[in-house]
Amino acid sequence: MTRPYERMGRYIIKRLLTAVALLLVMSFVTFMLMRLTPGNYLDTLRLDPQISKDTLAYYEKLYQLDKPAWQQYLFWLAGLVRGEFGYSFYYNVPVAKIIGSRLGNTFILSFAAFLLTWMLAIPLGIWAALNRGRWGDRVAQFISYIVLSLPGFFVAMVLLFWASTTGWLPLGGMESPGAEDLSLWARSWDMFRHLIIPATALSLGSIAALQKIMRGNMLDVLGRQYILAARARGLPEHRVIYVHALRNAINPMITLLGYEFSALLSGAALMEIITSWPGLGSLMLTAVRSKDIYLVMASMMMGGVLFVIGNLLADIALAKADPRIQIK
Amino acid sequence: MRIPFKTLKSTVGFFLLCSFVLWGSPAWAQSRYNGRLVLAVTSDPKSFNPILAKETSTTTITAHIFEGLTTVDPFTLKVIPNLAESWDSSRDGLTWTFVLREGLLWSDGKPFTSEDVVFTFEDLIFNDDIPNSSRDIFTLAGKQIRVEAVDKRTVQFVLPVKFAPFLRSLGQELLPKHVLADAVRNRKFSFTWGIDAKSADIVGMGAYLLADYQPGRRIVLRPNPYYWKKGAQGEKLPYIQKIEYVIVPSMDVGLLKFLEGSLDAYTMRGMDYPLLKPNEKAKDFTVYDLGPDMGSSFITFNQNMGVNSKTNKPFVAAHKQGWFADIRFRRSVAHAVDKKRIIEIVKNGLGYPQDSAESPGVGQFYCADVMKYAFDLDASRALLKDMGFTDKDGDGVLEDAEGRKLEFNLYTNADNGERVDVASIIRSDLERVGMKVNLQLVEFNTLVAKLTSTYDWDAIVLGLTGSTDPHFGQNVWRSSGQLHLWNPQQKTPATDWEKRVDAIFEAAGQEFDEGKRKAYYDQYQKIVAEELPVIYTALSARLTAVKNKFGNLKPAPFGGVFHNLEEIYIK
Repeated sequence: MTRPYERMGRYIIKRLLTAVALLLVMSFVTFMLMRLTPGNYLDTLRLDPQISKDTLAYYEKLYQLDKPAWQQYLFWLAGLVRGEFGYSFYYNVPVAKIIGSRLGNTFILSFAAFLLTWMLAIPLGIWAALNRGRWGDRVAQFISYIVLSLPGFFVAMVLLFWASTTGWLPLGGMESPGAEDLSLWARSWDMFRHLIIPATALSLGSIAALQKIMRGNMLDVLGRQYILAARARGLPEHRVIYVHALRNAINPMITLLGYEFSALLSGAALMEIITSWPGLGSLMLTAVRSKDIYLVMASMMMGGVLFVIGNLLADIALAKADPRIQIK
Repeated sequence: MRIPFKTLKSTVGFFLLCSFVLWGSPAWAQSRYNGRLVLAVTSDPKSFNPILAKETSTTTITAHIFEGLTTVDPFTLKVIPNLAESWDSSRDGLTWTFVLREGLLWSDGKPFTSEDVVFTFEDLIFNDDIPNSSRDIFTLAGKQIRVEAVDKRTVQFVLPVKFAPFLRSLGQELLPKHVLADAVRNRKFSFTWGIDAKSADIVGMGAYLLADYQPGRRIVLRPNPYYWKKGAQGEKLPYIQKIEYVIVPSMDVGLLKFLEGSLDAYTMRGMDYPLLKPNEKAKDFTVYDLGPDMGSSFITFNQNMGVNSKTNKPFVAAHKQGWFADIRFRRSVAHAVDKKRIIEIVKNGLGYPQDSAESPGVGQFYCADVMKYAFDLDASRALLKDMGFTDKDGDGVLEDAEGRKLEFNLYTNADNGERVDVASIIRSDLERVGMKVNLQLVEFNTLVAKLTSTYDWDAIVLGLTGSTDPHFGQNVWRSSGQLHLWNPQQKTPATDWEKRVDAIFEAAGQEFDEGKRKAYYDQYQKIVAEELPVIYTALSARLTAVKNKFGNLKPAPFGGVFHNLEEIYIK
């Protein structure tokens, strides 16, 4: 009989090993897809009347675009082992230098949306469950259905249109011109105003979905015998709800939290492109379009690693929170 | 505590500089040294190194930071002195001597000398370790130009053969030897002044310097404290204290930001006109029309007779190649394309029909007197009939003498909305005279691959960027050029007229007399209009909307709205 900690450790190692295999397959497929689609990075240069054939050949050699795809892939993989993500053709600097600031921007947006989602959805779900069938609950559920049926990008466009007609909020981007001269407070306020539209559009759907799940869980738990027993013992109502019911109702949400974490960096791509938020998503779009292969690879790997880690954390958190779950 | 000497020095320098600004300029100019100009770019710069720069999002920025020996007058397109105050050439036109202006300083305060000019050419442009496209311009007949410093202010260029666009090419940005010599020696130049550079390290001769770059967000420029150009009364330039380029993901976002009021200027597309023009008064801006665009927009047919070496099949089916190579076919197409409708529909009426290979936007070398093909469907049909095309089965599509349907694929890149619209108009025009055109929208990369390596296309709608000297279009017009789209990289010219155009480019490239050069280039434009290897459609009008807050704004047809940025101030 092994001890639980040992078992957990072994489980994590096993999961990490499969993750490495998964990432390898993912990188291989991405690389080959990038190579198999027609054209390469030099195509825009080819149509410039002032660039000669020799110069193009020089670049081709420099970027190793003349080698077969599998050689290029191995070369890239070897670099990755040494901790090098490769070189961006487009920006002429190591990929890591470009991704850093973009990653930060994406994180700001995703984290804002994440906070907004959870801070609104959980209380709303609880409140709706406690007021089940009353007017407030009905209105909340009705609106949730509408929001759920609207795609996020559409919400973003409607919000942008609204902002362009009223002028109350800035139209896309991350800051106003001249932001670098403002005080820290003024800059934060400026960025906050720019965050409102993308963060709202990004979280609206999740809020609707999460509050429905939370409401369902809560209703389920409230109908259990032990709640009846707690009430029968004469416990105060707030204790019954917040200690006995909530603790059990929130369990499934922990798994969701992990998945949401993994989607943190990858999920915002579309919204970034629509609201011109300078994050990883919009960077990746230009990278794919211009066939900047190593930049695409690095962004893909970043998303992949976060996804794997998020899933792992979700499983571990769930095991911690619910003693009934056994990890093998 | 000791203050490091270097910091102290620069601090003192800064104060000196401030007092100089307040003191050296007349009182009326004082109020002009302020403000911020906010513009938009649609993508990030790829580098701050002008030698490595490959595309416009980079050169838009480096143009503010770096300057060359000569420049071009934005109103007349004549070459005028810039960092060089005068020049002289030997009788044979091969040796050129330039005298630099006196007292020129780099933006770090060090003197600018002839050594910097030699360094830029000998150590950077002609350095095999450094990939750059300037080398292609300054390599003549396979040989490189030699550059020597005669004394501190005099520099001599020795050309291997005569090269007419030489003076114009010396707009080439110059770089500081004292800053970059080490990087060249350590073979690090290709990674110097990239987008990860510290802004203070970048030293230039331009009116502005890099102050701050935030990827995906903005590029901010600040005045060069040592800028050489002075105002009319000797006052310091530039006036505007910050230039900010906001990086927007698309033109549409730029348009919205301009309407929102956060941008000072916006380069319009024809389609934006109905939205912007009525708002001029209410939003306090002016729309400037600077005439036709420099680029081109055309349809071309594949006349390549080559065979794919892997599949052993011809690039274009032989019978189609036969049609496309027949001048009657191309003239028939030229008569069928309704340029007026293209301008009305695609460009909102704000465009110019294009007939000549050079745009009127390039100035002196444009030839208006070329053969024009009026929109005339009957003329078009007559030419096809003359070729033997008739509609035998009555389905509206013509067949040739062997009964093959007059059908072909027309490609263009899907990401360029305007081009797609032009292609669909051309398609509907050609269908009216009995051709069956299959419009194929493909990725830009696919299109380039077809044009430059697989050659498997029938017809393409495309545009190319133009330049003010036709010489730089020789990659397109010479039969050996790789952008000689309809039949690239020929060993010997396939047709007589291509042979004549080759000779014209050869001769004009070595002719210094502007009048004779113009005669050469007029002739080439006439030949192209007669032979129609490409059939031009329409040019856009260059429209810029600018807020009404600037003084000294003098929009120029060739320089744009902000060509004299250093003199512009905010009222």
